[in-house]
Amino acid sequence: SPPDSFKSEGKEIKMARSAKTALVLCLDVGFSMSNSAPGQEPPFQQAKKVIQKFVQRQVFAENKDELGLVLFGSDNTKNNLAKDDQYQNISVHRQLMIPNFELLEEIQNDVHPGSQQADWLDALVVCMDLLQNETLGKKYERLNIVMLTDLNTPSSPDQLDIIIGNLKRAGITLQFFLPFPVDGGGSNPPHGGKALSREQQQGLEMTKQVMMSLDEEDGLEEVYTFSDAIEKLSVFKRVEKRPMAWPCTLTIGSSLAIKIVGYKAVCEERPRKSWSVVDAQTHQKDDIKRDVVYCLNDDEETEVQKDDTIQGYRYGSDIVPFSKVDQDQMKYKTDGKSFAVLGFTKQSMINRHQFVGTQVLKVFAPKDDEHAGVALSGLIRALDDLKMVAVVRYVYARNGNPQLGAAFPCIKEKYECLVYIQLPFMEDLRQYSFPSLENNKKYTPSEDQLSAVDSLIDSMMLVEEDKDGVKKDLFKVNHIPNPQYQRLFQCLHHRAVNPSAPLPPMDPWLTTALQRPLAVATRCQAPLEILKKKFPLKEVVKKKELKTSKELFGNSCLGTGRSNQIYLYSPSYITMQVKA
Amino acid sequence: PEMARLVHASMAQWNDYHHEDEDVDGEERDESGVDYKSTGRDSLVFLVDASKEMFIMGEDEEPSPFDMTMQCVRSVYTSKIISSDKDLVALVFYGTEQSKNPRNSFKHVYIYHDLDLPGARRVQDVDGLRGEKGAQVAGETMGSGNTNLGEALWCCSNLYSDIKLRLSHKRLMIFTCRDTPHGGDSERDRQARTKASDLKETGVVIDLMHLMKPGGFDVSLFFCDVVSPPEDEAELGLQMEPCGKLEDLQKRVRAKEMKKRSVARLNLCLGEGMNVAVGVYITALQARKPNAIKLYRDNNEPVRTKTRLYHTQTGSLLLPSDTKRVQVYAGRQIVMEKDEVDVIKKFSDPGLELIGFKPMERLKLHHHLRSAVFIYPEEEMVTGVSNFNPFFTMCSVRNVFALCKYTRIRNSPPRFLALVPQKEEVDDGQAQIAAPGFHGIFLPYADDIRTLDTPQLPTASESQVDKMKEIVHKLRFKYRSDAFENPVLQQHYRNLEALALDLMAPEHIEDLTMPNVNMIDQRLGSLAQEFRDLVYPADYNPEGKTAPKRKPAEAAGGTEKKPKVEMSEDELRGHVQKGNLGKLTVPVLKDACKQFGVKVTGTKKQELIDALTAQLTK
Repeated sequence: SPPDSFKSEGKEIKMARSAKTALVLCLDVGFSMSNSAPGQEPPFQQAKKVIQKFVQRQVFAENKDELGLVLFGSDNTKNNLAKDDQYQNISVHRQLMIPNFELLEEIQNDVHPGSQQADWLDALVVCMDLLQNETLGKKYERLNIVMLTDLNTPSSPDQLDIIIGNLKRAGITLQFFLPFPVDGGGSNPPHGGKALSREQQQGLEMTKQVMMSLDEEDGLEEVYTFSDAIEKLSVFKRVEKRPMAWPCTLTIGSSLAIKIVGYKAVCEERPRKSWSVVDAQTHQKDDIKRDVVYCLNDDEETEVQKDDTIQGYRYGSDIVPFSKVDQDQMKYKTDGKSFAVLGFTKQSMINRHQFVGTQVLKVFAPKDDEHAGVALSGLIRALDDLKMVAVVRYVYARNGNPQLGAAFPCIKEKYECLVYIQLPFMEDLRQYSFPSLENNKKYTPSEDQLSAVDSLIDSMMLVEEDKDGVKKDLFKVNHIPNPQYQRLFQCLHHRAVNPSAPLPPMDPWLTTALQRPLAVATRCQAPLEILKKKFPLKEVVKKKELKTSKELFGNSCLGTGRSNQIYLYSPSYITMQVKA
Repeated sequence: PEMARLVHASMAQWNDYHHEDEDVDGEERDESGVDYKSTGRDSLVFLVDASKEMFIMGEDEEPSPFDMTMQCVRSVYTSKIISSDKDLVALVFYGTEQSKNPRNSFKHVYIYHDLDLPGARRVQDVDGLRGEKGAQVAGETMGSGNTNLGEALWCCSNLYSDIKLRLSHKRLMIFTCRDTPHGGDSERDRQARTKASDLKETGVVIDLMHLMKPGGFDVSLFFCDVVSPPEDEAELGLQMEPCGKLEDLQKRVRAKEMKKRSVARLNLCLGEGMNVAVGVYITALQARKPNAIKLYRDNNEPVRTKTRLYHTQTGSLLLPSDTKRVQVYAGRQIVMEKDEVDVIKKFSDPGLELIGFKPMERLKLHHHLRSAVFIYPEEEMVTGVSNFNPFFTMCSVRNVFALCKYTRIRNSPPRFLALVPQKEEVDDGQAQIAAPGFHGIFLPYADDIRTLDTPQLPTASESQVDKMKEIVHKLRFKYRSDAFENPVLQQHYRNLEALALDLMAPEHIEDLTMPNVNMIDQRLGSLAQEFRDLVYPADYNPEGKTAPKRKPAEAAGGTEKKPKVEMSEDELRGHVQKGNLGKLTVPVLKDACKQFGVKVTGTKKQELIDALTAQLTK
């Protein structure tokens, strides 16, 4: 019978900051897990993949979460509750521990499908016992059991209410991973045409009952299919950074101030770790020493000591010795953080393409200061109504470099804020002029060509309305995880467990995520063909010819490293080349 | 030899730019610019008319054409120093009485500055030619005399050919207010035209910066055959009006002085087999203080740094191939070859790949990551018709942006760009203020967007909003992106300038980022108090705790430097006798050195103290 001595620590646990999660993976290795329709991956293999991907993610996240692994349906029995004929063929493979590569290797090499069967409810009880024993006296934010099974063993539902009661009291949450969807079950299953067995149908009912009792509203959302999970877990999750608050005061002149708090809202995320250089033989960092030497610009490259060098700067052709001390004394200084309004201007005066800087700040009032909230709201709404922005001087901290920026009003259903983006200084701008594209007679496209491009745009629209008039975006860049890091972690993981194997090919899902959506790619085929006919393909202008044209026009450097590519040149351009 | 050294030195910051948080191996050289070593230097010659007409003041105290030109030359000099310090510049006068050129073979041509990097001294020289006094100086040193533009152009062509460096872009700007420089001498006209075409054949682009002249400046009388043909036909109609104002002249010079450099030349791929060749340009990018360089103490000459890798145990030099790269996760070392680390970042070949189109309103204001790029078809193609034009036109007509996958170089991971069409705009003087082409806006990935807890706070009432509108109304101004100078950079360069020219103190900079608090308070009058009364309870202090209260006077005064206190000789002698010179700061000591004419070789504090002590105990 299940233990009834779970202590309720739930409330206390939630209070603890930076607390960790304890999680037990409970994997069905029973013989039915190896059964599958021809051509389909057996549930066991799928479940193993889910676990591998999940553990992999945990390893790279390098947090303090602890993980245990319980196998049921295994040939051996190894658990605290096993007695006589109870809790047989359930094996605690790993106690609660921070996951590491050894665990990944064990899963890869030592976890095999068994020839036995075990009741998944019994296994659940073993997991609860494990969690209870090993978390005793320690603080955890969350206790969780992840059940991966095909529910194909007969279970006795008579203990179900006691188990649910204990789960609730211990504050343990549950997640199920099944080979079939929770709502598509019954006798007409969509998966592979194979109907659910009587055991599976019964198991599914019990799963629903457990999950709904734990969370009436969203309980069923914690029941996943293996294939869904593999897809979702393939995405390496970034480690959420706690947003850093930047408290400051918005000032308008000397007599109007509003307390504010700024947060980075958009900023290029970079991986936390970088590569370090090691000796190729020993793989030891300490075996390598980087040495910087200074030498004169004479023929002998005479080395000089660092102490015999001083700091200087270039001022055009002049080289000006300028010591650090002097520089600190003479440099521009700021006296503290600032968010001071210089004035207000029309939003249309600010060119989006002139934004500089590498971040966007969202500026709110402090969350416990309703007066500041009202005052800031007054400014935000006034700016929004007038279609204006505040031009502000922004200084992050004392002696930080001052920035000039625009604070845009932003009003959402749930909140209001200012959006601050840095604007350029005069020194940051390059005013290039380019020959006109439109006021050029030679260059006017025909109606024919314009309409061909017009239909191309139609066929390649990424935002479309469905039949209910709801707009759907087929390609949201802000939903794509940064492919650079996905690829990096894929390779790191692969290399970690297969040190001598070459790097794996790119994950297909990643390649697909970066391509034109299939629907659009299909749709635009015909318009593209038409467009191609309007702009007949011409063979390459080769490097040599480009050089000739360089001699002719003499004002630019062309054709670096390009040759034999196909470009679309109009006949008139080709004629020019020939003349050259 | 000096030139050769400079090639080694750090490159102009614009070109040297890379992201702040670049990692150790310098892998992330994302939008870094062009390499001068491979493309050569830009060069610019100012050929300025020094005839009497150039010195006639305009109406309403307008500066003379000569004065305006000198102001322009000065601003080009200083801006070159700040943003493209590898470019070569020369200043040559024609129509002078005196001649100064190598071998003095060209009469009435005066080379004021050879083709070289501009420096502090040159800036000072040009300053000396400004204003009434400058006109006098010019009269005394060069005078006004005969004009022979052909000789002047010939002399300039020698300037170019004397340079041993590879020059990538050669430009010559003629500043004059005379449309018939030779007064109808057809032989000299012909000679000038011949020399001009010689120059053009060697790749020099000749521009005319013609200035206002009573009765109008007629380009067709002579100069149309001297200047380079415009880049395209449409431009012919542009910029044919002479400049009457300094601002216009500066704008015109600025637009021409810089060679457009693309950071990448790629194919914009619309679909299989449908490529348009485009250039990627950077038009806004944060200029930063350049890195300091190390100098040898004895001669103030730059030293080179060499980085070497040693094996700690054996002491032997290691080649890059003797190393591998490592990251540690969960206690395990994961080892890769350098090549593997690079190749992981490769997704596709360099290029812009069209994904599809979206309505403009789908482009979110706050989706900003870094400075945008500018996309323009390869210039060589502009003369013909490419499919860029209809593509550009229709995006503009349909008010859509093109979503593209952007791979800048081999092994650079993809980013998505929103290509936003920008229609050409010209100002009243027919100068282009917005170039036609696409702005490429970098879009954030999921990882780049942070989830924030948004506070639940009450919102303002209509009356509160209305009061703020009054405040906003009072403080309206017309923002111009080129109106604000970077005070940090300006101060840095003024400091260098002062040190290079031995000035007592750096020129004062005006910090335009500081709010004009007095003006704001004055304009607002009682409005600020009225708004406060509407939103804050009587006992509420909006400046409490989070930010230390700043005195308004201090805020208004900005960070102006304290005026320097000159030390009297007695005071200084007192310090020397008591041996407490060491308590003074280095700048104070330096000032003292300057004040008493003490020569110092180094800049170390002890050196200054020693030099002062030696001088004053004589």
